[in-house]
Amino acid sequence: GRGGARGGANVILENHRHPGVFIAKGKESMLVTKSIAPGEAVYGEKRISIDGGVEGTKVEYRVWNPFRSKLAAGVLNGVEEIFIEPGQKVLYLGAASGTSVSHVADIVGPEGVVYAVEFSLRSGRDLINMAKKRTNVIPIVEDARTPQKYRMLLSTVDAIFADVAQPDQARIVALNAEYFLKNEGNVIISIKASCIDSTAPPETVFAREVQFLKDNKFKPLEQVTLEPYERDHAMVTAKYQRHK
Amino acid sequence: MATHALFESSSGYAIFEIKLQENVGSMTKAVQNSIDDLAKFGKMVTLLSFSPFKSAAHALENANDISEGILNDYLKSLLELNLSKPAKKSSVKLAVWDPVLASSIKSALSIDCDTSDVSKDIIRGIRQHAPKLLKGLQGDDLMKAQLGLGHSYSRAKLKFNVNRIDNMII
Repeated sequence: GRGGARGGANVILENHRHPGVFIAKGKESMLVTKSIAPGEAVYGEKRISIDGGVEGTKVEYRVWNPFRSKLAAGVLNGVEEIFIEPGQKVLYLGAASGTSVSHVADIVGPEGVVYAVEFSLRSGRDLINMAKKRTNVIPIVEDARTPQKYRMLLSTVDAIFADVAQPDQARIVALNAEYFLKNEGNVIISIKASCIDSTAPPETVFAREVQFLKDNKFKPLEQVTLEPYERDHAMVTAKYQRHK
Repeated sequence: MATHALFESSSGYAIFEIKLQENVGSMTKAVQNSIDDLAKFGKMVTLLSFSPFKSAAHALENANDISEGILNDYLKSLLELNLSKPAKKSSVKLAVWDPVLASSIKSALSIDCDTSDVSKDIIRGIRQHAPKLLKGLQGDDLMKAQLGLGHSYSRAKLKFNVNRIDNMII
């Protein structure tokens, strides 16, 4: 897009409450992440260069669009904690083409790792290409329902983010947690009510999903709506507790 | 109760000896805490052998077999070498995560396998502390191996599956 070096001195960068997330304040305020692979956009998003600490150096930030990323929508809607921060290992289920994953890669930074699982071959190809430029992203083209198939590729993770838009998403998350999520680690789940049960009211669907988590070693922490960015979506966070 | 545990990593196969596990699997907070604590977990298991893959292609071949529950010849020879000594054989019980692989091992080598929750907790602990437990690996070696294998595994999926219509069947 137009992005590039625009903005410059007119933009002020501030830390967001969530470590690794920033706010660029110019004419308007935008959510941004610090690009781990400066120089090009992943999906046509706007980029902002800001003077670095040292004279003549620039740091590139990428605008994080809440209409394109449910995690960004959750952040803008005030979710208390996202459990994704610099240096952490994250399992991302439902990575799609990797647009939102690229921002998670920015947040965890060079010391962190994102294991990005996507089953669709078409999206998987884009995901692999995005990951070629970001060595902290490990692409896994495989079905998130069968973690046994990709268990050789993962270390224990600090958090699982899930956006698989499948009726059995909560079960998929619980299954992956048993393999890969550390005890007391966290999950962040984006729930699309119509994907799970299009006949029940969204609130009923969300409550059922939360109950499923409770019954499967999770302690639900928070629920926020993703309106107005997504219709009938909620983001739920929970803590994994292996012990009874 | 398992006496040994198999851990499949991107860098290679590891076989551990389980030394102490009486309460593992009981799901109490104290037991989970001692799995989380490397100092304590390090007393529960010791590394018997770690066999790295010889090349990227070798790692991919093994990853593909592991994902299907197939006993690769390389893993077969390692298990034979480490666990099939006549004197030991009768008492060996190997903790394996995947029941399909476990039955492949059992039928090929007559080694008893255990896929219970207790075994899962042990293997979870090994995964969590793998960078410290797998001697010979340094710093981010494991992550580098995961990165290389993640790309090659995924690329192979695209190639292999491109015209298949039955890949939704599980």
